[in-house]
Amino acid sequence: MTPTLQLWLAFVGIGLTAVVTRCSFMVLGERLRLPLAAEHALKHAPAAALAAILAPALLLHDGRLALAPGNFRLLAAVVAAIVMWKSRSMLWTMAAGLAAFTLLRLYA
Amino acid sequence: MAVNTPARAGGARAAFHDGLADMLPLSAAVAAWAVVTGVAMAQSGLALSESVGLSLLAYAGSAQLATLPLLAAGAPLAVTVLTALMVNLRFVIYSAAVAPGFRSLPLRQRLGIGYLIGDISFVVYMRHEARWHDASTRAWYFVGVGLAMFAVWHVGSLVGLFAAAAIPREWGLDFAGLLALLALWVPSLASRPTLAGSVVAAALSVALDPLPFRSGLVVAILAGIVVAVASDRRREAPR
Repeated sequence: MTPTLQLWLAFVGIGLTAVVTRCSFMVLGERLRLPLAAEHALKHAPAAALAAILAPALLLHDGRLALAPGNFRLLAAVVAAIVMWKSRSMLWTMAAGLAAFTLLRLYA
Repeated sequence: MAVNTPARAGGARAAFHDGLADMLPLSAAVAAWAVVTGVAMAQSGLALSESVGLSLLAYAGSAQLATLPLLAAGAPLAVTVLTALMVNLRFVIYSAAVAPGFRSLPLRQRLGIGYLIGDISFVVYMRHEARWHDASTRAWYFVGVGLAMFAVWHVGSLVGLFAAAAIPREWGLDFAGLLALLALWVPSLASRPTLAGSVVAAALSVALDPLPFRSGLVVAILAGIVVAVASDRRREAPR
């Protein structure tokens, strides 16, 4: 399998997950209702997935734990997280995070 | 959140226009999020045609951002698709919440509505659902909301793709993608079980990172869910 073919297969697969999840209950209608416990469990899936994706990207540098002040991305992410927590604004969060990262990169 | 929006007279066209109008104030946020995703796709090393293909096939910003690093690294197909599935799982819940209002419609129409489900269209629709008394008018409203979001999203994505090409690499704009994910994640930390699940998922993901192609990711996500559920149970159990 060539890398290009694998890439497009992945796109189709990603697209299928979107269609299947969105249409799941629209197809089933009355025929299936999730138990409450399952619904509660699923509620946690996005946060767990996001945490699992974000953590290595922010905490690791070349495969090593990088917690020192030298990790500009981590510092900027902390700034962005605080702004998001306070403002709940995607726009301000992006602006703050990118500004912090740029300032650190240029002047730190 | 308006609970008792007055019932509206008027047919399909009025409902559709209401949908567009309700989406308007949110367009900037959707556009910004789309531009960021477009920029992230451009910065990920995907070719322009590949980015457009991914964008059109997936129409799922979070899943696109989540899988970009995996696509760039040539991760196994199953890991990439399962990651997309995990990020998209919330759509199942949205689908379950929206479905009762459209039960009487033909399957094809229900699927069309399902395709337009997204975080923002879902929230807007649920807020105004009570305004419409029959499934068909309700459907036109949802389609108004959903199509507005769809259009803004894809235009924003393209703008991001092309603007990113004019931006020097050392700006590290791929970081913008991470920030967007971070912004999506932060509000969930108000819930203690979700916080516990996130900490475990994050820690495991870092610990298992040396495994090839980030294959520890799926394990980390599943463990995070289990811990969050356990923490939920503990909180709800009588003392």
